[in-house]
Amino acid sequence: MPTYELALMLRTMSRPEIVTTLKRTTEAIFSKGGFLRQLDYLGDKQLPYRVHKNSQKHFTGSAFIVTFDVSPKKLDDLLEEYTRDVDILKRSIFKIEDEPQKIECTLDEELKPPAYRKEVINMMEKAAKGQKEKYPQNTGLNYYPFQK
Amino acid sequence: MFLKLIPQISNALKGIKKPQMQISANFCSQVSNLNDFKNEGDSDEPIEMKNPFEKEKVKCILCRNNIEPSYKNVQLLSQFQSPYTGRTYGRHITGLCKNMQEKVEMSIMRAQHLGFMGYVTKQPRFLKDPKLFNPEKPQRPHKY
Repeated sequence: MPTYELALMLRTMSRPEIVTTLKRTTEAIFSKGGFLRQLDYLGDKQLPYRVHKNSQKHFTGSAFIVTFDVSPKKLDDLLEEYTRDVDILKRSIFKIEDEPQKIECTLDEELKPPAYRKEVINMMEKAAKGQKEKYPQNTGLNYYPFQK
Repeated sequence: MFLKLIPQISNALKGIKKPQMQISANFCSQVSNLNDFKNEGDSDEPIEMKNPFEKEKVKCILCRNNIEPSYKNVQLLSQFQSPYTGRTYGRHITGLCKNMQEKVEMSIMRAQHLGFMGYVTKQPRFLKDPKLFNPEKPQRPHKY
């Protein structure tokens, strides 16, 4: 099962209340057939903007990050469940890649004058051939269905 | 008299050290492996090797230090944010490569959505952070 990261911003509550909220979130994961990997606490943060939730204004919150594995089919349901939770102000789920891609820095290429840049050279070659980017219509028909 | 001068000259020459050329590390390692190169047997033909005086490629600041921008690292992301408007600086100001600039922008959007970072403001404790670039003097003109 793929690994995901749930970034949570809970409203400021007393410690036992935070515990119950976190238990609720993790039990939701378990009910969907997933398992926990890690639970990080990023501290009580002062929010940079007021968050309105349930006719209440929030200025502070506690940030948590839950690393877990779950089937991708259940992911949408999980997120929707957290949206309905009163104590969770902000929530987002991101995927964690097993092997992060190693991309080389292309700054050298980008700093060259336009005539020497690969991107520009490819563009000019295409223009010289007279090729325009053709997007496939995906209609499944071999004729243009609309009246031109 | 001529014969007497020769030992004097040779002694004088012994004291002079050969000037050390500033050669890149590539050249030194390649010179030691001369046996592996083509045309080694033919003394006249040049030895095929990678350009030993190749300049090191320019890298953007994040690629140079192998820093991966993350939405959790708000202090790093705030360095690419304007202290006046809270907006993200463009590639012509930050001097990042295309991939890194996209990663930074995506991380900033994530952090802003989650309430870690502001849309219109910059956290006051990050205002005195070292400046990576001068926004009033961009390295390249704006593409428009």
